[in-house]
Amino acid sequence: MKKFFNISLLTIVALSTLSLSSCKNEIDDIFDEDAVTRLEKAKAEYTNILTDKGGKWQLEYYANDEEPGYIYLMTFAKDGSVTIAGHNKWINYIKTGSVTTASSYGSEVSMWEVIADNGPVLSFNTYNKYFHIFADPYDIPSVGGATSDDDVNEDGYGHEGDYEFDIMKYVESAEGDTLFLTGKKYNLNMIMTRVGVNQPVDDEVYMNEVVAMADSFFNAKVPQVYINLPNGVRWIVKNGATSILKMFREGADEISTAETHNVIITHDGLSFMDPLTIDGYTIQNFTRQADGSLLCRDDHETTMTADPLAVVFDNRNLIWRADFKDVGGRFAELVAQLTNELKAYNKSTLQYAQIEYDRATEVYKLSFNIKKSTVKYNPTYFFTMEQVNENQVKFNVAAEGDKMGETYATKCPAIRAIVDELGSTTINLTANSLLAPVNMKTSVNGNDYIVWNLQ
Amino acid sequence: MKKIQYYISALLLVAVAAMSFSSCSEDKLGDTIFPDIDETLDPTSHSYKLDKFLKENYLDKYNLTFLYKMPDISTNMNYNLVPADYNNSVDLAVLCKHLWFDVYDKVAGDDFLKRYGPRIILLVGSPAINATSGSETVGLAEGGIKITLFKVNSMDVSNFTQMNELYFHTMHHEFAHILHQTKTYPTEFNTISVGRYDANNWQYRGNEVTSLGFVTPYGSSEYREDFAETIACFITYTETEWNRLLQLASRGYATSASEDDLDAVYYSYYYYPNNDTEAEISYLDERYVITVVDEDGTIHLYNRNERDKQGNRIVVYEVEDKDGIDGADAILQKVQIARQWFHDAWNVDLDALRQEVQTRQSTYWQDMDSLRQMVYGIQ
Repeated sequence: MKKFFNISLLTIVALSTLSLSSCKNEIDDIFDEDAVTRLEKAKAEYTNILTDKGGKWQLEYYANDEEPGYIYLMTFAKDGSVTIAGHNKWINYIKTGSVTTASSYGSEVSMWEVIADNGPVLSFNTYNKYFHIFADPYDIPSVGGATSDDDVNEDGYGHEGDYEFDIMKYVESAEGDTLFLTGKKYNLNMIMTRVGVNQPVDDEVYMNEVVAMADSFFNAKVPQVYINLPNGVRWIVKNGATSILKMFREGADEISTAETHNVIITHDGLSFMDPLTIDGYTIQNFTRQADGSLLCRDDHETTMTADPLAVVFDNRNLIWRADFKDVGGRFAELVAQLTNELKAYNKSTLQYAQIEYDRATEVYKLSFNIKKSTVKYNPTYFFTMEQVNENQVKFNVAAEGDKMGETYATKCPAIRAIVDELGSTTINLTANSLLAPVNMKTSVNGNDYIVWNLQ
Repeated sequence: MKKIQYYISALLLVAVAAMSFSSCSEDKLGDTIFPDIDETLDPTSHSYKLDKFLKENYLDKYNLTFLYKMPDISTNMNYNLVPADYNNSVDLAVLCKHLWFDVYDKVAGDDFLKRYGPRIILLVGSPAINATSGSETVGLAEGGIKITLFKVNSMDVSNFTQMNELYFHTMHHEFAHILHQTKTYPTEFNTISVGRYDANNWQYRGNEVTSLGFVTPYGSSEYREDFAETIACFITYTETEWNRLLQLASRGYATSASEDDLDAVYYSYYYYPNNDTEAEISYLDERYVITVVDEDGTIHLYNRNERDKQGNRIVVYEVEDKDGIDGADAILQKVQIARQWFHDAWNVDLDALRQEVQTRQSTYWQDMDSLRQMVYGIQ
């Protein structure tokens, strides 16, 4: 009997162990539903998110890490179509057949779908010539054409841009809903931001505003701008107009220390492709401020500014030209008077005036370009420039111009009057843009002004 | 007593076993792990008309999925490919039906493509460019079930030459692969041009391959491609194109390098004495040859563009065929093997197939509007 109980006990223990081990691998389910069901729900959820609230999104698109980013405006419809609008030089290439720095607007309807892979994937699954050009495997024509020295044959590669994106995260906020995407093949991170929720957005107007934003930040004629860090250190930024910024710490050797970073100009500012850390500060996204400067919205301290207008206007490497189409007050009167005097004197016409620094004589020259038939005359007057403050300069005009200048001053007194008016008092400077001041307004008082264009 | 012990032990065993099962009883599996996806077409969908056309004319009829919305994840990720343009997809969908599926239905019977046709046709907008070799893939047949047509976005429906080269030819080429992947062709075919294939450098060959017995340079890459190319060219080339091919195949040719580009090699079928240069003779292609027939029927060949110093036409001669191969005969032998194979293995008349394709190809452009209506006319 004892033996029987022993055997029974052993049997119970053994079977209990077995029974326990049969569930040893059981763990509580992390998810309530199986993966396929969850994926199908995610597809439906993201499809709804994309088409919700008008379905219009701004995509900050990067084809690769060597080119600038480009903004695309995408309107997702529930019927599976998507209207994709952009404004960039590659759209201009599609339309004109040549690659230049010129940009064109283009919009086309194609199709989209949220498909399943390892997770939900946003796929633009029929061809859209204005968007899929970055994924086309053809050679990329260079500026200057196929015979240009820097032309590389990219056949088989193209820009290597993605058109399928893993949907990584969705953030809904009062500031704007955001989708975080990663390119399926080339793994670049991109951001989509919902637009047009509170008021309708016209695609072309929106894209034109993005281009205007880009123009207000960078212009190839403006030598450099600055990143101003909270610790007072400045980084010099060059080549802004290419959206591939060349940056180096002020005072450091440009050749050996400069680094390049590609950026995208958005509807409200500028973003680097990836966060970058300089002098211990990590920055990426900048928002345009009312004064035209850029403020980093990651640390709310770092800014991007240009030289003060007085420094820009007094830059001895720059040439400023006024065609007198935008003049006001006393200057408008004098230009009208000069026009009549020139006609009366020798039937000549005023073309423009130009300010440039003469290194030989170390003074600025103000030359008028006057045309008589096919002959051009350049009466010239001289002055030195003094920076009064950040936005004011003073012209100290020499008493005599060159020989031609003196002749014209005698025959057409208005020409000298214009020069003297400029030198009469402190000149106030205002510009079209703080970062890219290519149109400089010189006012001797509120209404008496001339607008000069940077050449 | 032993019996009692036995029963008690058995009861304990059953009880513990029951406990062990009950502890895992929550792991109930559903009927399937796959979601129940509604395949009903949505009439409000942007692509409803094309989707309905594809369902009725390919899926329901041939159990064939016609993919034009390309998920890149279903293609070779080593290539940079883009999706097909929607409107071009419509054109290609109706042309595939008109010039391929309807042809086989008519010549080989309704069941032929149901049984042997591909199960997937995938349209891709760009070519698959091999960046290393510089070659472009314009069609692909895989595993006897899937055919991929590339370069759909470059399609110009009004350009017959381009359509024939890139699409009509490719359809029949890839389907020939599907067929021989299902029933192999006679190995006798492989012996006709043995030793003349060049798998690595075929892309640098030109029309001179016809003199070697191949219909195209790609056909000279390997046996199977030669087989598919021979069938595709025979079916899709117009009578004029086919006769020209055979004519070139029976010619001799000479090669010459370009002075401007040393890598460029030109193949010429004619030469003429040239006293104006250091070279005794110069070569020229048939484009620069003019044929003049005398009143008595004598044929003269002249240089189309140049005359000698006296202003007389320069007589042109055919380059001697020195390769020892009767290219035209080789090509015709290959066609005969394919013809017999179609007959024996598939009970299909290749010549009738060709005639039907030729008839349809010659009028497809005029029929294009009505063909498109098969899609755009769907309500």
